[in-house]
Amino acid sequence: MAAKDSPLKQFEIDPISNIELGGYNISFTNSSFAMLITVLMITLFLTLTVNTRSIIPSRMQLISELMYNFIAQLLSDTVGDNGKRYFPFVFSLFMFVLIGNMVGMIPYQFTFTSHIIVTFALAAVVFIGVTILGFINHGIKFFTFFYIPGVPFYMHPLLIPIEVISYLSRPISLSVRLFANMLAGHTLLKVFAGFVVSMPFFTGVFPLAFIVALTGLEILIAFLQAYVFAILTCLYINDAYHLH
Amino acid sequence: MPQLNPEFFVSQLFWLAVFFTFLFVFLWRVSLPRIATVLEKRQNKIDENLSSAKELQEQAVEIEKKINDQINKAKLETDEKIKETINALQENVSSQLSSLDKDLEKKVSDAEKEILKSKDDQMKNINNEIVNITKLTVGKITDIELSDNELNKVIETHKGNFN
Repeated sequence: MAAKDSPLKQFEIDPISNIELGGYNISFTNSSFAMLITVLMITLFLTLTVNTRSIIPSRMQLISELMYNFIAQLLSDTVGDNGKRYFPFVFSLFMFVLIGNMVGMIPYQFTFTSHIIVTFALAAVVFIGVTILGFINHGIKFFTFFYIPGVPFYMHPLLIPIEVISYLSRPISLSVRLFANMLAGHTLLKVFAGFVVSMPFFTGVFPLAFIVALTGLEILIAFLQAYVFAILTCLYINDAYHLH
Repeated sequence: MPQLNPEFFVSQLFWLAVFFTFLFVFLWRVSLPRIATVLEKRQNKIDENLSSAKELQEQAVEIEKKINDQINKAKLETDEKIKETINALQENVSSQLSSLDKDLEKKVSDAEKEILKSKDDQMKNINNEIVNITKLTVGKITDIELSDNELNKVIETHKGNFN
């Protein structure tokens, strides 16, 4: 298989316009373009559909309200009343990942959530924010988060390092989960798309049918991963309020 | 794998920061407050309607109570009126009956008196007739002329035999 037909070719970044700032390459790329589209879609949709502010909502307004209530419910279920002030952040995160995944489902469109650097940056923001929040709420006592009460004392030398490692690996697990799902899904689609072309006669319809089914699955995963990202963020925020 | 090529890491991070910050600020300041006001407005409207419905229900209950009160009052009033009328009628009837009784008694006693009087008169007449007939009969049969007093005495002594 030639390099230009590689299933990973879709993840390559192409600069649209080359920009340099302070010696750093900050070119506007197809990835940036996908982010732009995503942000525009979210802001325009959420603004225009609620423009009339009608008490009896139109269908589009209802969708905006549904998303609002979905995340508000998620936050109040996991964090409680404390969670209200993080609502804009969690909502932005959820919508950004969700629409980013969905934009990636458009053929020939770039999927920025399939780049580990992007997902890791988002996860790092969550991780650092939550850690700071934990120290603000509990001060030095936040370290007791790694101490599990009710365990025999001789287990602590083993458990505390495990807890610390699991805490530190949160941003990695959070970012890799999203990145790997997107990467695997899109790669699989591309591989089967290659089969459609390369298989002889009419047998290409089988991988094609598979692609159709897989696309449905991928849309589900796109939503699911955004949901997982949001709910884990909520759980981490909750941890910063309630130690064990 | 293009994801691990650090060539565009800075670019990716830069644009991610730009767009995500924009998205966050925009949603935080513009979109979400809008949706929140709509939801709040709707909730207020619902609450308002619910409370007014409750008020109306309370009013309905009050009105029903009033109606029932009035019905009860009217019942009591009519009952009283019926009683009053019955009492008045009974009094009327009894007074009329008593006056009738008195009238009748008077009439009966008058009639009795008259009967007694006429009986006495008749008795007197009979006495006279008896005296006259006896005088005539005795005079015709014999030549004895009887005085009225003597005859009356005899009649008086034998009166028990007449009746």
